[in-house]
Amino acid sequence: MSTTVDLVFAPDDDVPIAYLQRTRDYYAALGYTRPYHWAHFADVPFTPLEKPLDGSRIGLISTAAPYRPEAGEQGPGAPYNAAAKFYRVYSAPTDTIPDVRISHVGYDRIHTTAADVNGYFPLARLNDAAAAGRIGRVAPRFYGAPTNRSQRVTMDTDSPQILDLCREDGVDVAVLVPT
Amino acid sequence: MCHQTVSLVARHLEANGIPTVIMGCARDIVEHCGVPRLVFSDFPLGNSAGKPFDVESQRATLELALRVLESAPAARTTVQSPQRWSDDHAWKRDYSSVEHLTPATIAQKRREFDEHKAVARTRQIER
Repeated sequence: MSTTVDLVFAPDDDVPIAYLQRTRDYYAALGYTRPYHWAHFADVPFTPLEKPLDGSRIGLISTAAPYRPEAGEQGPGAPYNAAAKFYRVYSAPTDTIPDVRISHVGYDRIHTTAADVNGYFPLARLNDAAAAGRIGRVAPRFYGAPTNRSQRVTMDTDSPQILDLCREDGVDVAVLVPT
Repeated sequence: MCHQTVSLVARHLEANGIPTVIMGCARDIVEHCGVPRLVFSDFPLGNSAGKPFDVESQRATLELALRVLESAPAARTTVQSPQRWSDDHAWKRDYSSVEHLTPATIAQKRREFDEHKAVARTRQIER
């Protein structure tokens, strides 16, 4: 007995965007032929969770930038704004939702607008999780990571500073959210 | 660049005893770097924490990240969120697409890119 099975596969190009190749092609088309060398490691560190999340302090690390009125357009859908970039690690209190924006990064301005901070900065949802007892508590500060083209600056300067801040605040576990 | 930045930070924290999870939208950049744990949302860049104005999407994305923290058996654990940005995947074609480039837009984009670099350089010197 034979049956006809219609295999309804998803389209072949319905896959995660290959950003490494996409941006390489894009900048090559613009005439920048020396490709950016992205960070790549063979070994990956791993620290198992030591205690339950409901007894843990969670630290939030973001690449969003504090809003600076003098730095030009930073609102929803604003064009790329290099003046809004920041170059040093910062921290700020988590007792209120901060005004952090993402006009300084290359988010998808065709299909999204960054109009809702909760879409790229999950502090409100972390607070919900703490209120529900899912996590212990949110650390008293969140930590801002500068998006530097230089991997050396990120690795040798910014990462150790963020580690120090996390330790000062007794962070047990970190949630990192790129923008 | 943001995804590379948090990947490098996650590696540093992890190497120093703090478990991490990244919530991100650029799977290849994070995996190319190599990180302990990633929750990947197949959304346009800028929505790493869930869909805008959709609390349930954001809640589910965070909950998935928490579960990955609790259950990842080893480094390089990636879990893809089951959420879809839209029924049509056509949005994936547009980001930094060379097909949208004409000679005029190439000249304009080059100008913009060089301007941005100059602004960034000036501000970096100020730091």
